[in-house]
Formats: sequence, C-alpha cells, structure tokens
Amino acid sequence: MNTTLIAFLLILTPLLPLLLAFPALRSRIFWPCHVALLPALILVTVPAGVSVELPWLLFGSGLGIDGAARLFLAMSVLLWAAAATLLHTVKGKTVDDRLTTFFLLTLGGNLGAILATDLVFFFAFLALMGYAFYGLLVAGGGEGTRRAARVYLVLLILSDLALFEALLIAAAMTEDMGFEAVRQAMAESPLSGLYLLMVLAGFAARAAIWPLHFWLPRVFRSTRPALALLLAGVPVAVALLGIVRWLPLGEITTPVLGLSLQALGIAAILYAFFAGLKRIQLKVLPAYAVILATGLFAIAVGMGLADPAAWKRYGNLVYFFIAYLGFGMAVLIAIIGWLQAKVHYPVTSEKQADDSCLWFERWFEALLRWATQLGVDTLPRLRAACLTKAALLRHTCGWQKILDASERALQRWCFAITLFLLLAMVFIFLAAR
Amino acid sequence: MSWDAGLPLLVLASSLLPGLVIFFLPEERVATRTTLNLAGATLKLLLVGVMIWGVFHGHHYETRLPLLPGLDLVLRADPLSMLFVVLSSVLWLVTTVYAIGYLEDSPNRSRFFGFFSLCVTATVGVALAGNLISFLLFYELLTLATYPLIVHRGTDAARKAGRTYLTYTVAGGVLLLVGTVWLYVLTGTLEFTARGFLSALDESHHWALVVIFVLLIAGLGVKTALVPLHGWLPQAMVAAAPVSALLHAVAVVKAGAFGIVRVVYDVYGIQFAASLGVTLPLAIVAAVTIIYGSMRALFQDDLKRRLAFSTVSQIAYIVLGIAIVGPIAAIGALVHLMHQGVMKITLFFCAGNLAETLGIHKVSEMNGVGRRMPWTMAAFTIGAFGMIGVPPLAGFISKWYLGLGALDAGQDWVIFILAGSSLLNAAYFLPVLYAAWFRAPADTWPAERIFGRRETAWALLAPPLVTALLTLVLGLLASAPFSPLLWARFITALEYAP
Repeated sequence: MNTTLIAFLLILTPLLPLLLAFPALRSRIFWPCHVALLPALILVTVPAGVSVELPWLLFGSGLGIDGAARLFLAMSVLLWAAAATLLHTVKGKTVDDRLTTFFLLTLGGNLGAILATDLVFFFAFLALMGYAFYGLLVAGGGEGTRRAARVYLVLLILSDLALFEALLIAAAMTEDMGFEAVRQAMAESPLSGLYLLMVLAGFAARAAIWPLHFWLPRVFRSTRPALALLLAGVPVAVALLGIVRWLPLGEITTPVLGLSLQALGIAAILYAFFAGLKRIQLKVLPAYAVILATGLFAIAVGMGLADPAAWKRYGNLVYFFIAYLGFGMAVLIAIIGWLQAKVHYPVTSEKQADDSCLWFERWFEALLRWATQLGVDTLPRLRAACLTKAALLRHTCGWQKILDASERALQRWCFAITLFLLLAMVFIFLAAR
Repeated sequence: MSWDAGLPLLVLASSLLPGLVIFFLPEERVATRTTLNLAGATLKLLLVGVMIWGVFHGHHYETRLPLLPGLDLVLRADPLSMLFVVLSSVLWLVTTVYAIGYLEDSPNRSRFFGFFSLCVTATVGVALAGNLISFLLFYELLTLATYPLIVHRGTDAARKAGRTYLTYTVAGGVLLLVGTVWLYVLTGTLEFTARGFLSALDESHHWALVVIFVLLIAGLGVKTALVPLHGWLPQAMVAAAPVSALLHAVAVVKAGAFGIVRVVYDVYGIQFAASLGVTLPLAIVAAVTIIYGSMRALFQDDLKRRLAFSTVSQIAYIVLGIAIVGPIAAIGALVHLMHQGVMKITLFFCAGNLAETLGIHKVSEMNGVGRRMPWTMAAFTIGAFGMIGVPPLAGFISKWYLGLGALDAGQDWVIFILAGSSLLNAAYFLPVLYAAWFRAPADTWPAERIFGRRETAWALLAPPLVTALLTLVLGLLASAPFSPLLWARFITALEYAP
C-alpha cells in the first residue's frame, strides 16, 4: 500500500467516526458504528512507521502508526466492534440516537489519541474522548449511572487541568511537541519533577489508578453491558498509553517518585484483592480486576522511573500489557454477562447498590454519626455553621445578594465616584509636585 | 485622494452610508433595507480583505483629515487595527443576518438597523483610529450609537439598563477625555506609535504619566467591564439578542479592551509601561475580574445574565495577557480578542434562539432543550466548551498562549488564575449542557413558536452554526496562513522587535 493511501487512511480513521456522529450523515448508512471502524481495520494491516504531518493543525500536529499504535488499534477495533454489535442487538429496545452520536464521538477520540504523534493532538483527542464518553454513560442511563458519571466528570475536568499544566511545562522547554522531543527535553529539564507529577496525576484519574479509582466500580455497577465492555479499553487503556507516551521513561532517574509509584501499585493490588473479595456483586468484579491491573502497571512505571536501564530493556512489554488488559477485560465482562444471564448469580443487597449519594457525602455523614455516638459531637456550632453556609451557597446565597447590592450602589453613585476619583487624582498629583 | 489614502475611509463609509439611508427608509421597505444591510456588510468584508492583503505585503493605508489645529482625524490600517477590523466586519455580517431574522415582525426596524450600522461604523473607526483623539471620537460615537439599541424595546427594564449604560460610559468617557487632554498638554502629540511615544519624556513627568495611565485605563475599563466598573454589562442583557451579541462580542467591550491594548502598546509602549510599574496593578485588576466574573456567573439562573458575567471574566483575559509583559502572553491576549468574540457571539445567538423559539430565558427552563433544538444546542455546546478552553477549540489556543506567556514572563501565579477560571467556567457551563442534553424535557415550553419541520427560522439558526464552526476552525486550524494566531504573532513580533 503506498504512502499517500496510508496517509489518507490515517486521517480518515479518526475523521470518519466524527463525521458519522452527525445524524444526517449516517441516516442512510446501515450499521454506521461498524462502518466507522473500517479505516482503522485496514490501518491495522499496514506496515508500521508511517506518519503524516499536519502543519496547519493546532500548533503543527501529526498522525502516525508505529508498532504500539497498531497493537492498540487492533484492540480498539475488536472492542468497539463488539460494543457496537451489543448496542445494536439489544432486544426490544431501539438505540437512542444521542447514544450513537456519543458512541461515534468517543470512538473518534479514542482512535485519534492512538494515532496522534504529539502531545497537543493527543490531549485534544483525549478531551474529546473523555467528554463524549461521559455523554455515552449518561445518555439513556439511570440515576445511578448519572451519579457515577458525575464523579467521572469531576475527575475528568481536574485531570484535564493537570495535563494542561504538564503541557505548558513541556512547551516552555521545547517548541517541538512530538512525543520523542518532549521526552528528551523533559529528561534534562529542571521542571521534570513537576511535569512527571502533573502527567501522573492527570492520567491516574482517567486510568482509575488507586486511590483515584472510585469512579470505576460505580460506573461498572450501573452501566449497560455494551459500555462496560469499553470501560477497560477506552478511558483506562488510553490513559495508560498516555503515561507511556508522555513520560520520559528510560531517560530519567527519579528513585523517590519511582518507589512511591511502586508503593502505590502494591497498595492498589492489595485494595483490589480485598475489596474485590468483599464484593458479592459479580458485575463489579471486573472493576477490581482493572484496579489490580493498573496497580501492576503503576509498579512497572515506578520501576522504570527508578531504573531507566531496566525500562529500556523491558519497557516495550508494557504496550502488550495494556493491550491485553483491554482484551482480557472484554473477555471477562463477556463471561460474567453470560454467567449472570444463565446462572442467576446472586446480586448485591440494596444497601450495597445504593447510589443515592456519593462516597464523600457518605464519609462525611459517617464521620458525623461516629462523632455523635462517641459523645463528642464534632464542634456542633461549626458543623451547624458549615451546613447553613452550604445551604446558603446552594440557594444563590447571601454574599451574592451583597454583591448585587454593592453593584447597584456603585451604579447609583457612578458619577459622584468618578468626580471624586478625578479630584482625588488631581489633588494627589498637585501634592506630589 | 489616492486608493491607499481612501481605502480606510471607504471601509468606514461601507457601513455609515447604508446606515444613514436606512434611517430614512419607511418601515415596510423590508427588501430595500435588507439589501442595503447585506450589501454594506459584504462590501465592508471585501474591502477589509483587500486591506489585510495589502497590510501583510507592506502597504501603508492612511486617511488624514484636519480636525483641530495640530490635531488630525487619522484612520490608519496597521496589523493591530486589522485584527479588530476583521473581527467586527465578519461578525457584523453574521449579526446582520441574525438581526434580520430576529426582528422580523418587530416595530421600528429602520431605526434599529440605522443605529446598528452606526454602531459598527464607530467600532471600525475605533479600530482604524491612528491617534488618541480619533480613537476618543469614535469611542464616544460608539457610546451614543449603542444607547438607542439597548433601549430599543422601550420597556422599563430596557430604559433602566440604558440609563445605567449611559451613566457608566459617559463617566468613563470623561476620564478618558481628561487623560487624553492631559497627555496632549504634556507631549504635544497623540499619534499612535509602535512601542509608544512617552519613553523620551523627562523623568519628572513620570508621576503624571502614572496618573494619566490610571485615568485612561479607568475610562477604557468601563467598556471593558473591569471590576468594579462592570455594573452596566449584566444589566444591558435585557437588550435584544443581536444587540447583546454586538455588545459582548463585536463592539463595546471589545472597543474597551482594544483601547487598553492601544494605550499600553502604542501610547506608553509595553516596556516603558512596565518600567513605570503600572502593568502589575493592571494584571491584578484583570485577575480579580476574571475570578469575580466567573464566581458571579456561577449563581445566575438567567441565561443571558450568566453569559454577561462570563464576558466580564473572559474579556479580562485580554487585559491580563497584555499586562503580563511578554511576547507570548501578548499573542494570547490578541488572539483572544478574536476568539472570545466568535465564541461569545455563538452563545448569545443560541440564547436568543431559545428565547425567540421557546420563550426560554432561564437555565432552570432548559431541561431537555437539546432534543427540541439540537442544532442550536450543538452550537451552544461548542461555544461553551470553547470558553472552558477544551482543545481543539478556539479558547484552548488563547489559554495556551496566556499560560505559556505567564511561565515565560516568570508570572507563575497567573497559571493558578487560569486554572481557577477554567474550573469555574466548567462549573457554570457544564450544568447548562447537562440540563439541555440529559434531563427530561418539560411537557410544554414557556412560549413555543413552530417553524414547520425546522427547529427555528433559518436566519436565526445559520448564524450560530457559522460562528460555532468558526470556533472549531479557529482552534483546529490555528496555524493556517492568515489565522488570527499567525496574525497575532505578526503583531507581537513588531511590538517586541529589538
């Protein structure tokens, strides 16, 4: 296949799903979600090492396919095809048009992030994928899904901020925002510590790395099978890919951060193991499997940061690990779905499945209850004041009214204030002379 | 008069003359009025196209008419003025189409479109002004031309908003006038000059220059809606949607922000202003405005009022970028002048569509509106995400350069302001989007109008779609030739040339 055709395919792979996201453009196409995957499917078969420069896009971007991208593309095509098939074969239900739109937007973002050759383009596709995935979760979902998605959204925004700061730090060091150039520049930069922290914090929230994992079990519990299939492959796998692409692994030695990450990874594995055992809801088990896998990933990255030489030798295996995480989770979810359908596995009690409030709300309430039971009602006056202030804040609160009133007063006295300021300035000037 | 000397005047006349004719047109001459409006807007766009090509290739376009002894009315096309002229010309055409659709059955349309054209003439005059006195003349003309547009509906609320607007802007105008006269007495010239014309003044005048700077910025800060001079803007949202679009995106607030850019760059010179110590306080005022505007927007249920406070916050980015003192932040400020206009006009068009089609004025009435008006809400979504700074939309490019510029200038605190503002932007825009797309729609809308199979009239739907597309294109194709980003780099290279 010639280079021009591959370049065309590289552009078409993220573009076609985005175009088909318009209902008018896909209305006459049979199974549009599957059609959108065709360029990616063809691209999996082409030789790696081809890229296309797009100098007009953003600050000069590009798309390309290397070995890792091809592996991820293959995983994505399989996962998305399976999810699309599931989505379209739900008995007795018509597919919500909004759901198809969000599905295709997320797909476009996912494929684009895999093929991006620079940080800014990767970030742009990541943002598209993240927000569209939120829409995918919420569209047609129940109240539980919505609450779960809300937690995901908050983390998404914070993650975007952290990654944006990381991008700024990288851009301050090098004009070339290609992955390789940034890795080189950040390895020698005095700001590399801050950059590493921002990248890790930004992607950890998206990849559900412990302790930023809490959105994942919640989403798994409440989402439909077609989307559960995508959870490990889309937000998690792409975020892990981001960590590998953005960090100067193999170029930089940071033993403290490396060891911390390894400790975090071990904690994640222990947490996933014990918390997973405790849960009797079968549907949520894959979430703990993902947390366990991301814990392993954190250990690997930590080792890479502590010992760059080891990363250079074994680092490539991480790509396989992430890709197989996607495949493996999909298979696990499929088996669990089948088990649930056939064996009528016991579901969790009402109490465990309660999604009526978020984790931090429950913790706060539990803390207050515990303190009351101990007889040291935690600073009752302070608590009452906090609650009152929170209520005020919620209902367009007192200080908003004060600000409104002060703005009105300023309006009334505008001329007088201007005159006064004018005279004061002239007076100050004359006094200064 | 040669072509090069006459072109700026022609650009001005392309909206002034149709406007004057429209004033005298009877109400029922709809076709003539529409033709004049569209012909004027299109002609202006063509002339501006010619001018921008010429400026890029080093042509010097300048009209100079004697005004007072020693003072001329100067219209000059330089790279900075072209940025603002292009913004107002493009958005004027789009807003004209929108206004034609919006005011289809309203009374006093000739009066409205007459002042509308006058308003754009004044804006282009502000952009092309070659000295401070010409700037001041057009700046005040803008105040006078906009007032009738704000009170056009004739309601009590509109009249009250108009009064507040006039009080603020006239007071601001007085400060600006005093500052300008003082400056003229001190220097004997008001000619805009690259890198300023004040650095040669004796050091004994520096105190006076600081006071004059405060006067000029306070005068311009009223239209820019810098806190605490912003009170008129949220009130003026009672005006019709095309007027709000004009106020927030094309003309008034932009004229103020552009004026601040002119004063800092072409009167004081950025380096001299920094040496006087006036840029840091300006940056602090801008930072306070950014956070204050966002905090206020967060609690507004009225959609247009929420957007108005958002403007207060967003316009201050331009001032912040200039006050940071660095070439990269300056690129961010200049490019935001254009990008904010395109994004904000999209949001106001959409708010107007919701009000005109379904009678929706409040965020709390927007539940499920995305299903009833998907195209309008798609445009709104793009505009809102652009404002938050999500890539690859236009707002991302502005925030990128502002953040990078802050790091480059060693003003790291600005990063926290930008991050806080982005969070707040998300906090006041995302609930709107959530309500529109994911909440169940109400059984009935407050005041629904049916437009056949379409969600609304074409003249109302096309403008926000065009500007939403522009929001995407300006961000995605930021590095394309003649993009605002490249033009902003071109301007900054001149200002910061060694």
